[in-house]
Amino acid sequence: MFRVTTGTRRVTLILLALLLSVLVLLPQQSRGLLQSLGQPIAQIVALPLGVLSAINRSLHEVWEGYVALRHVHQENQRLHKEIQYLQGQVNELQESAAVSQRLAGLLAFKQNVGPETVAAQVIGRDSTNWYRGVVLNKGERDGIHTEMGVITQAGVVGRVVKTTPVSSVVLLITDPNNAVTGLIQRTRDEGIVSGTSQGGVRMKYIPLLSNARERDIVVTSGLTGEFPKGLMIGSITRVEKAADDLFQSAEILPAADFSKLEEVLVILSPYPPGAADGAPAQPAASEKGSAP
Amino acid sequence: MKPALYLALIVALIPFQLTLLQFASIGGIRPDLCLVAAILVGLYAGAWEGLALGLALGFIQDQFSAGELWLNLVTKGGAGFLAGRASRYVANASAITALVVIFGFSTLVGLVFFAGGLTGEGWGGALYRLWAVLLPEALYNALVGTAIYWLIAGRYRTEQRGGGPTSLIWSLK
Repeated sequence: MFRVTTGTRRVTLILLALLLSVLVLLPQQSRGLLQSLGQPIAQIVALPLGVLSAINRSLHEVWEGYVALRHVHQENQRLHKEIQYLQGQVNELQESAAVSQRLAGLLAFKQNVGPETVAAQVIGRDSTNWYRGVVLNKGERDGIHTEMGVITQAGVVGRVVKTTPVSSVVLLITDPNNAVTGLIQRTRDEGIVSGTSQGGVRMKYIPLLSNARERDIVVTSGLTGEFPKGLMIGSITRVEKAADDLFQSAEILPAADFSKLEEVLVILSPYPPGAADGAPAQPAASEKGSAP
Repeated sequence: MKPALYLALIVALIPFQLTLLQFASIGGIRPDLCLVAAILVGLYAGAWEGLALGLALGFIQDQFSAGELWLNLVTKGGAGFLAGRASRYVANASAITALVVIFGFSTLVGLVFFAGGLTGEGWGGALYRLWAVLLPEALYNALVGTAIYWLIAGRYRTEQRGGGPTSLIWSLK
């Protein structure tokens, strides 16, 4: 296919070495360049991706709807959704009650407005095994940008890390490279919630004197911009403290089921740190955007 | 014929990797078909074709991965190129050659991802990623790659016997 002369080879190798140097030495600039170069190509690839995603969805539906015990599975799925919805409701009420107790003396109780969101479909998983991410069918054209938070009705899913005009990549909270500020609902202790290599979620930097325990609910603290305060992250399954550590850490069972993500909501509203402080928790799914 | 084949491979492989390949995942690990394709093309069509296909596949793969935008570009391009270089030292290509070469390069590429994805998790997390992601993926890539090699090589031999057209990737080698 290619007839490459020795001179061309040398020039190509020098160019590649230069490219590699630029990539390593100027990561921010090269990132912008690669992203702008990749966007039109990503749009082309998005077309067959949409087709294959539809086939994938149909195969899943056939398998789950007909092969694997049709009625029982449907009923189970409905009940699962109901439980997730009710868990969200309970969490919302608990969070509201906790906040109300703390602010009972205040007359000016500002009710927070629910986050503006856009619904999107999960059309694929990360292209490598090294990152826990999903690909959404909506991108910059729908107002989605990097660093935006992603949720489901059950709770926090992750944040957007890459966008093209027609798609976006979400890094899940189960990835070790992701971190969200969390708050233990009962004790009001804050910490950093991040993923683990094993695919779990862990809350770190819990104060030493905190009496956090199993089954405590962890919600978003609202200290970072992606998520408003009070969105469900999960519940504590184990609290750990090594002898010499200055902080405690806790394993968390995430509220969202990452193996069955189909539709998600991307939070479009900017949430400056502390903006929702003192407000009651918001339901995760107060969607104002378009259909997925 | 070959440019069209490569173009089809580039456009079809990434969506397949993102969607339907999850049906083939074992313990959450899927084969990296883009890497397998780059290595096989490098091995049997030469270093420059391996480099070109690896760069193209890696570049698009980076658009749909949460990692850095250069990781797949550099590793897939490099693997395709180096596989082509390595093929010079292989007298008779066989399924075993494909298995060893794909396993070796998958491990090297995995080490780059491993180093690039190191977090403050400590040794426990790092070792887990070595055992639970790097090695299984390299093994899976090697098995899938060898199967693809075996299938295409079998077809190639049949066509050679029948005197039919040989439009396979490595027919010009």
